Amino acid sequence: MTGTLEVVVVGAMQLVAVFALAPLLTGIMRKVKARTQKRIGASVLQPYYELSKLWAKDEVVSDHASWIFRSTPWIVAIATITAALFIPVFVPFSPFTSAGDVLLVIGLLALARFFTMLAGIDTGSAFGGIGTSREMMMSSLIEPGLFLTIFVVSLTLGGTDLTSLVGAAAAKFGVVIAPSMLFGLIAFFIIILAETGRLPFDNPATHLELTMVHEAMVLEYSGRSLALIEWSQAAKQLILLGLLANLFLPLGMPTSSAAGLLPLGLGSLAALAKVVLLSAIVAYAETRVAKWRVFRVADLLTVAIASAMVGMIFFYLQ
Amino acid sequence: MLLFFAGTLLPLVFRDPRRETVASFVPAAVSSLLTVALSAWVLLSGSVLRLSSPVVQALPWMSLSFFVDGTSAFFMLIIGLVSTSVSVYSLGYTGYYAGKHGIRTLGSLLNLFVLSMVLVTATNNAFSFLLFWELMSLASFLLVVYEHEKESNLRAGIIYLVMTHIGTAFITAAFLMLYSQTGSLSFDSFRSAAGQLAPYTKDLVFVLALVGFGTKAGLVPMHVWLPRAHPSAPSNVSALMSGVMLKVGIYGLVRVTLDFVVPNSPGDAWLGLLMVVAGSSSALIGVLYASVEHDIKRALAYHSVENIGIIVLGLGLSVVFMSFGLEALAALALLASMYHSLNHAVFKGLLFMGAGSVVMGTGTADMNQMGGLSKRMPWTSLFFLVGSIAIAGLPPLNGFVSEWLTMQALLSSYQVPNVVLQLSIGFASIAFALTVGLAVATFVKLFGITFLARPRSKAAEEAAEAPRAMLVGMTLAGSLCVVLGVLPFVATSAVASAFGFDMGLVSSYTPFGPLTVGYAANGLRSVSSLSMPTVLVLIGSAGAALLGFAAVASSGRKTLTRRYTTWEGAFGALDERTEYTATSLSQPLRTVFKSFFRPHTSVDREYFSESNHLVKKSVTVTSESREVFEDQFYSPSLHAFVAVLDRVRRIQTGKVNSYLLYIMIVTIALMVLVVVQP
Repeated sequence: MTGTLEVVVVGAMQLVAVFALAPLLTGIMRKVKARTQKRIGASVLQPYYELSKLWAKDEVVSDHASWIFRSTPWIVAIATITAALFIPVFVPFSPFTSAGDVLLVIGLLALARFFTMLAGIDTGSAFGGIGTSREMMMSSLIEPGLFLTIFVVSLTLGGTDLTSLVGAAAAKFGVVIAPSMLFGLIAFFIIILAETGRLPFDNPATHLELTMVHEAMVLEYSGRSLALIEWSQAAKQLILLGLLANLFLPLGMPTSSAAGLLPLGLGSLAALAKVVLLSAIVAYAETRVAKWRVFRVADLLTVAIASAMVGMIFFYLQ
Repeated sequence: MLLFFAGTLLPLVFRDPRRETVASFVPAAVSSLLTVALSAWVLLSGSVLRLSSPVVQALPWMSLSFFVDGTSAFFMLIIGLVSTSVSVYSLGYTGYYAGKHGIRTLGSLLNLFVLSMVLVTATNNAFSFLLFWELMSLASFLLVVYEHEKESNLRAGIIYLVMTHIGTAFITAAFLMLYSQTGSLSFDSFRSAAGQLAPYTKDLVFVLALVGFGTKAGLVPMHVWLPRAHPSAPSNVSALMSGVMLKVGIYGLVRVTLDFVVPNSPGDAWLGLLMVVAGSSSALIGVLYASVEHDIKRALAYHSVENIGIIVLGLGLSVVFMSFGLEALAALALLASMYHSLNHAVFKGLLFMGAGSVVMGTGTADMNQMGGLSKRMPWTSLFFLVGSIAIAGLPPLNGFVSEWLTMQALLSSYQVPNVVLQLSIGFASIAFALTVGLAVATFVKLFGITFLARPRSKAAEEAAEAPRAMLVGMTLAGSLCVVLGVLPFVATSAVASAFGFDMGLVSSYTPFGPLTVGYAANGLRSVSSLSMPTVLVLIGSAGAALLGFAAVASSGRKTLTRRYTTWEGAFGALDERTEYTATSLSQPLRTVFKSFFRPHTSVDREYFSESNHLVKKSVTVTSESREVFEDQFYSPSLHAFVAVLDRVRRIQTGKVNSYLLYIMIVTIALMVLVVVQP
């Protein structure tokens, strides 16, 4: 897989797969959640119906809002698409590895968050303000947590290049063995919960001003803009879960792209299965915890940072 | 060369009272451009010759010698680039002062300021270095107190003056130490003696220089002057002070560290660690204060503390790697540090210019009075957004690239063969990561509260766009942000030829090739790379793909976009009082980091009648967080100092006979000393 054409084709296919499957993952999570709450729940395809409904709807834009508000959904979507090009979700290599690494992916996701926060302020509504205010506090702790997790992972697996990270993870027997990776995993799991706006950080299912964070920032969006934002959010969730699966639980993933078509195909299926399993775990965990008070959330994020730190100490001392 | 000096000196002589502005700032712009040209010439020829090409010019009437090697040229490039755009900006900005203050003074002082900074970087002699250094400090002091009718400005100026002289004292001490070792004040002799310094002298010189230059650069805890002086100065001066003068402090540090105190043995690693600690704590403390600040210029000043911290962190890593002979990594860390210096000069200059436009447009620097300016000042807001994205370290602009390099340097610390150092650098990377996260949040606040939503005051409602010259100045700096972000090879090759290291270690030679950092340990081997041009192409194609998808998906169904007021929760009209302000936006941050800020909140309630406390006339909430360093370090030491001086004053009784007694005591003491000494 060295030819430019193949790289572009694989990257594009993975991108399409990520965006096509992301709403399904959200649907599965909702279904799992409903089932554990003894409800039947909507069909797993419900997010697709919602997206297509929103896409066809008219939009309302606040007359206080500037061009930032109107362009944010597009910027968020473009940043997420670009990030998806770099992340190995279904294949054991990053399609555009020579152009960027995992730090670039973090940067792109941060860019998306930056504009989402600005859009929250832009309408002049107090709801947007409260969302942005809380997100500012949380993101200023999520970002270091993510950085430090990556720090631990790259110390243990070598470098920040995604292809070699995933390859090294796959070569190491398929499960986490190093203690540093174990602590990294704890940190990364907490960070993913926070980053994708899951309980106990944020509740994706409410519109109650006391509890919402991400929903408050995007409260003023409607129609196609809302569809873009929700779709990007779902894709981000899939990307991060896929990264967790490939870095920490690389069971079934071939070590390199030279493994042949059958192992690669099996690897993709295994990745999909792991991501679905992980999302089910996240959804199940959501029914077991309540939303935390906003200021306690900082403690949990600090746990993630400390855990990554312990992982780093383990790496240096072993 | 002569033309260049003439160009810088010209506006000092040439003062036309009628066309003051043009007379001051056009020569400034031209001479700054010449500075850029000169430094580019040195850098380019240096890279061809692969050695530093000295350009010595000894003026016959004074023992001044100038020496422009790669290091000087690189910092001259920074000075030139920023002062070019600031000079253009100033052409419009002086309109703000027209009729109130003498523009002639501002113009000639500004020229003197830039000239002295160029001379500081070009000089090759400790004596003249200190001379120009003083000139620079005094010129900037006069500029800080330019709006002298405000008492707070005078206070800021005095604090700045005191702090900068404490710094100068340390620098002088460092140079005197070197002089005692070499017997000459020339930098050449310092350089040639670099290897043979006595170990303790070396450490002492380094620490003195770190404190001295750190004061100028604004390292914690010597930063106290910075958040006062920058907001007091006119905005074009703030842009120069923050963007450039702090870099002159960094220049001094680089010069002393790499040329005079050459770290070459593992015993020198603690010097680097000292810088890493100072840098990372400056970065974190700076950004924490910035995140809760509601004065736009003060917040930017605190951000300078943060960015200087990141620069010194990179420099410290470089010293650590150098001490262990890890040359490739030292080059990487130095590249990160110097790249960030260049970037910070450009985007901080841009942001201060943007803040200046806002202050000019609204007449206030308090963000709680702003809002909605993106409609009234569209261009300023666009440039400020560019600066914000760049300084927050987000792709695809320049801040991201230098922070990527810093991160890679931090990650490479596994190669340092010392567990204590590895762990310390690990802790520094926590501080760095927190800094990056908080910087994003802070700039959401700075940009969002200033430019978005609806105006919070009458002044913000009636703000007008800045004059064209100011926009042109900001365009120059803004496009530099984009160029340095998208084409990193421009900066990397400049740094590589300035410091004479092999670029192949960290980057490829091809102009559009990626930056690469290798990893090899524990049997693992990989190369991390970052190619900003490719990333830009990918972002572009992602955008094209999205637009194409949107066009296809919505073909046949036409959706409408309606403009309507913001949803108000059915409570009636929203107004500016229901909006979030800068203070309320950062309230969660203040709460989370309350052990650091120690916020003090007091609530004043006023009642209509004392018997009924349920009906309130007004409620005033004041919340302030205090500067830990001023409270805990500076005020106690200042009080102690004053107390000691009070004691000393008692010996001045004013009586002649007691003075005669003192003279006698001293004479006897001297005689005893002479007798006792062999």
